[in-house]
Amino acid sequence: MKGVFAPSYRTWMHRANPVLKLGGSILLFFLALFTHRPDFMLYQAVVFILLLFWQSGYAFWKILLVVLSFILVFISSSSTMMLFGKGEALWWEWGLIRITEESFYRGIHIGLKSVTLAAEGLLFVLTTPSVGLFYALMQNAKLPPKFAYSFMASIRLLPMVWEELLIRRNALRIRGGQRLRGPRGWVAAIRLYAVPLLSQSIRRAHRVAVAMESKAFDGKGGRTYYYPSVFTKFDLLIAALLLGAVSLALLLGGTLPVFSIADIRNY
Amino acid sequence: MGGFHADLPPAGAAKTPMSGEPAGEVRDLRLKFPGEDTFVFKDLTFRVERGEKLLLLGPSGSGKSTLLQVLSGMIPELVDVPMRYSERVLPSAWGMLFQDPDTQFCMPYVDEELAFVLENRRVPREEMAPRMRDVLKKVGLELKELHVPIGTLSQGMKQRLALASILLMEPEVLFLDEPSALLDPPGRKQIWQAVREVAEARTLIIVEHRIEELLELELVDRVALFGPEGRLLGQGPPEELFRSYRKELLAYGIWHPGVWDGYVADFLEAYQETGPTVGGQKADSYRQAPEGREQGAQVCKPAGKKHGQTAPLTERKSVGEPAGQPVGQPVMVLTDFRGFRQGRPVIHAAQASVYPGDFIAVTGPNGAGKSSLLLSLMGLLPSEGGYRLSGQDMSWSKLRNKMVRAVAREVGFVFQNPEFQFVGNRVDQEIAFSLLEETAGSEEVSRLVDEALIRFGLAGLEARHPYQLSLGQKRRLSVAGAAVLKRPVLLLDEPTFGQDAVNTFAILDLCEELRREGAAILMVTHEEKIAETIATRKWEVRDGVLTDCGLTERGRPRAGIANPATVGVEGTAAANGERVSV
Repeated sequence: MKGVFAPSYRTWMHRANPVLKLGGSILLFFLALFTHRPDFMLYQAVVFILLLFWQSGYAFWKILLVVLSFILVFISSSSTMMLFGKGEALWWEWGLIRITEESFYRGIHIGLKSVTLAAEGLLFVLTTPSVGLFYALMQNAKLPPKFAYSFMASIRLLPMVWEELLIRRNALRIRGGQRLRGPRGWVAAIRLYAVPLLSQSIRRAHRVAVAMESKAFDGKGGRTYYYPSVFTKFDLLIAALLLGAVSLALLLGGTLPVFSIADIRNY
Repeated sequence: MGGFHADLPPAGAAKTPMSGEPAGEVRDLRLKFPGEDTFVFKDLTFRVERGEKLLLLGPSGSGKSTLLQVLSGMIPELVDVPMRYSERVLPSAWGMLFQDPDTQFCMPYVDEELAFVLENRRVPREEMAPRMRDVLKKVGLELKELHVPIGTLSQGMKQRLALASILLMEPEVLFLDEPSALLDPPGRKQIWQAVREVAEARTLIIVEHRIEELLELELVDRVALFGPEGRLLGQGPPEELFRSYRKELLAYGIWHPGVWDGYVADFLEAYQETGPTVGGQKADSYRQAPEGREQGAQVCKPAGKKHGQTAPLTERKSVGEPAGQPVGQPVMVLTDFRGFRQGRPVIHAAQASVYPGDFIAVTGPNGAGKSSLLLSLMGLLPSEGGYRLSGQDMSWSKLRNKMVRAVAREVGFVFQNPEFQFVGNRVDQEIAFSLLEETAGSEEVSRLVDEALIRFGLAGLEARHPYQLSLGQKRRLSVAGAAVLKRPVLLLDEPTFGQDAVNTFAILDLCEELRREGAAILMVTHEEKIAETIATRKWEVRDGVLTDCGLTERGRPRAGIANPATVGVEGTAAANGERVSV
């Protein structure tokens, strides 16, 4: 199970400092958010999907599966805008649904935006192990160790909760019981799962916290770090790569326009 | 917080001059948990000398673990509990090993976990790896490399890793809070060996119920026995104390040396008539009835040979045929039965059957497939091959939900962790839950519930929430919930795990009673004594293969079969002989 989710090889992205990647991803996120030219948006989506294939370190077919799911993201985010948006040049109307030329292109734009954000987010998540991220945040971004270790400890607890969920499901299947239908059944089912899982998790979290504190972890004061977080040539490389990707999208948007709309807001 | 205890006047005993600096001491300790009526400790004075190896014993709830936390300073520095004392000496450097191997780590990998301690202590990075290798060697945990996921270690290995991480604190005093309670016997032995390796020049303060292994290693030189309400009953060298306080140890459910022998003797005497009585008819004869009963049996020997796999599948004509011999019919028959996890076979039973009145102990190392066996039998894992329950074919259904329901009509199941199987908000609702599904009359249900409450020692607790019961009560309730349905087969997944002696024996007595009423008990257990002396038959699971080891000594004389393992397949003569001579 775990092997499926581990990258098969390490790329430049894996070697770069997580803090730099996080900063870069946030900048890219804002860039996508404030892009209003559909052509630029389109090429951002294309370029970052290509980057995902190249730099994620996962097998081609796995990324392909993920990218195919982007179609859903695209459809779900663009359709609302397309079907109900405002506009003058009416193409088709049926009851509440009213597709205009303006709403159609705005829908496309929103869809591309979501796909770009998804690709950028995945590129970051797939190349950054959580432990590495928190070590870098503690060392380079002054994140208090208290928070960093709380997060890392809770990540460790998640599989245990999952395992207990399966045990509980088995137990309930054996015990049977009258299944209520409808919303009342839902509430009953949530209660049946939540009580044992929460009570176990709370006790476990308390024990972990006590064990951590008993090992001289007071969450303040200086500490050394097992994983050094330094900036290397890979960080320069990744900075250049991301910048290059954005420039390429901008260039392609200018030279090979598909929509030729300057600003979607004033369209 | 500090001001709180300092302001209070010292209560109780006068000071006596002490020679030398103790490793830990507390005088006139009063402590009460918020919301509780009674004090955990009332004016307790306790002192531990440097280099002493001390064991604290007492019934559950006598405050031993709390005392450990007070002596270490965890209470009140880390866990805020209202308390007061006149004087306290804390160890300068200490570490505490806890009970649950899974909740002592915050990092996913061995090296990262050890690094956590070193980082806290500001050890330079270059020194970390050598120090890690050094402590891992001390606790006998030799790993090929340091970067190993903690999740891949066994529970016993995890506990030794926890000990290693504590050693990195360079503790002068080691506090051990029931570190072996949740381990199997090999794990228990290893953790105590590891503790002994590192005990030199350190003070040990141990709280533990399972003390056989610990005493075998002569780890402790003083034992302090606490009674209920945190009173110190007595202390002294182990042999002396066990001699003079035998009765108290038994009453408090402490696993002291010889407790099993006493129980087994009582048990065998009480249940001399071991044959089940079904429908008023003593069923002595059923053992001889079906020919081929023993044909699937093989000699059990240590793993390595995959003898189970090559066992011939003897045709058993008697099985499943209406023969007018109600007790002579097996309730469960497995023929070339396989269970799968994620498409891979994880358990294989060439031939095994369960008869009414069987008490079968399912043993084997962790991870060998015992749980997979139980889950496949319940239909919770996909399976194939022959599986008959009370004459019905259970292997027909690929629809697992249907199979679970069909199996659950014949088989009761008791989970390892009782809390996961509770569905009711009150103890009586919990017992009534499954009954209400099947029994029509609510009067009948309440009669059966009342009966079960008395039988399982839960009378007076019917209005409690199951979560508010003690560990032993929870366990009994979980058995009650499954047993009240009177299924022909009862599966129990390590029901005595982590229980004290009193509760373990209570569970065994209950199982024996159910067995005598004609139920077949199938109990997964690590407890050698249960497998060898209480059970009537032993199954062993090794490397995903189930082997029927034949009848135990207890099961044998009744059956009138001298050597059940005569048809052993690849069993060597030597192993065969060993079993006969038992």
